[in-house]
Amino acid sequence: MSMPETAATSDAATPAEPLETDLVHKARRGDLDAYDELVKRYQQRIYATIYHMTANHEDANDLAQDSFIKAYQALKSFKGGSSFYTWLYRIAVNKTINFLKQRKNKQHFSLNDLDFQTENNPDLVALISHKTPLREVGLTELQKKLNEALLKLSEPHRMVVVLHDVQGQSHEEIAEIMDCNIGTVRSRLFYARQQLQGYLTEYAKPA
Amino acid sequence: MNETEQNFEELKKLLTIKRHEVPPPGYFNHFSGQVISRIRAGEAGGSQTFMERLQAEAPWLANFFRVFETRPGLIGGMAASLCLLLVLSVIFADRPDAASKNLLAVSEPAAATGGGSVGTMSATALLTASSDSSGIVASTNPVTSLQPTATLFGQAGGSPLFQPANFMSAGSH
Repeated sequence: MSMPETAATSDAATPAEPLETDLVHKARRGDLDAYDELVKRYQQRIYATIYHMTANHEDANDLAQDSFIKAYQALKSFKGGSSFYTWLYRIAVNKTINFLKQRKNKQHFSLNDLDFQTENNPDLVALISHKTPLREVGLTELQKKLNEALLKLSEPHRMVVVLHDVQGQSHEEIAEIMDCNIGTVRSRLFYARQQLQGYLTEYAKPA
Repeated sequence: MNETEQNFEELKKLLTIKRHEVPPPGYFNHFSGQVISRIRAGEAGGSQTFMERLQAEAPWLANFFRVFETRPGLIGGMAASLCLLLVLSVIFADRPDAASKNLLAVSEPAAATGGGSVGTMSATALLTASSDSSGIVASTNPVTSLQPTATLFGQAGGSPLFQPANFMSAGSH
């Protein structure tokens, strides 16, 4: 099962569910069991976002844990103006971007394995066997090239691509998470896709 | 779907690879437990690092410090500037001493001409100066003026303050 699909099923409750607000209220009063429930609900999405930004499992693990801990510590300052989910995302995004700025020029991969469904993905199979000039290229090689290309983007541009094209968030959600307007999200997404297409011209030619 | 979206269709297919990247099996089984353990440990120790506290209370200062982490050369520059500032402050701190020396040089000739009364003069001047400013000394002036200037019993000329005692009765003569 792919990561977002897993997130969609196991992170069963949507952010709008009243249960989330109950859990947040309890967690604010120091109920760690309630917070544990919140962590379980969002751990996969938060981890995935950070992992796609860093292309490193260990860094993603540390940053995801730090984000949840910081969110717990700052829970009293959470006014409820946005959903807990958006607020948590914002913490994780800011933490990740700060980390990446510090880590500049010291990027190293620690890529996760592809799941067994990858080879059954018709789009990817078609991409490898028909469209790609290098027909012998394997999925792992493609994965590496894609991550290399993503790391060439600036952090805000990479974040928009990850949130929209990989995680399937809407422009509105991304604007709220990244604290910018929708126009900025759209223009960043367009520019980032253009850049990526340029880097991956052998694999992703315009239609 | 517009033309722009169609142009990125291949790229979007390629990006689906990212959705198939998964962490090691069982990774999420322990994740929340680790987070809660770290929170408990933090609460027990009450130990936020200095940088974490700074980030919470003054993010701009924390960001300022982070600049030094990413650019070590700046630390050297800042240290050199501080040293320079220290040296300059030491040099300029000597200037007031020189000024006070000049003041002493001006007062020394006056002391030489006044001879032994310098102490009295300076004390009088001080009293005058301070009485001008506060008035406390002014209230003590009568007291000081009543004090005898010579020994108690050795006053010449018969001070009106002291009269000889006579214990003999008037009819005994």
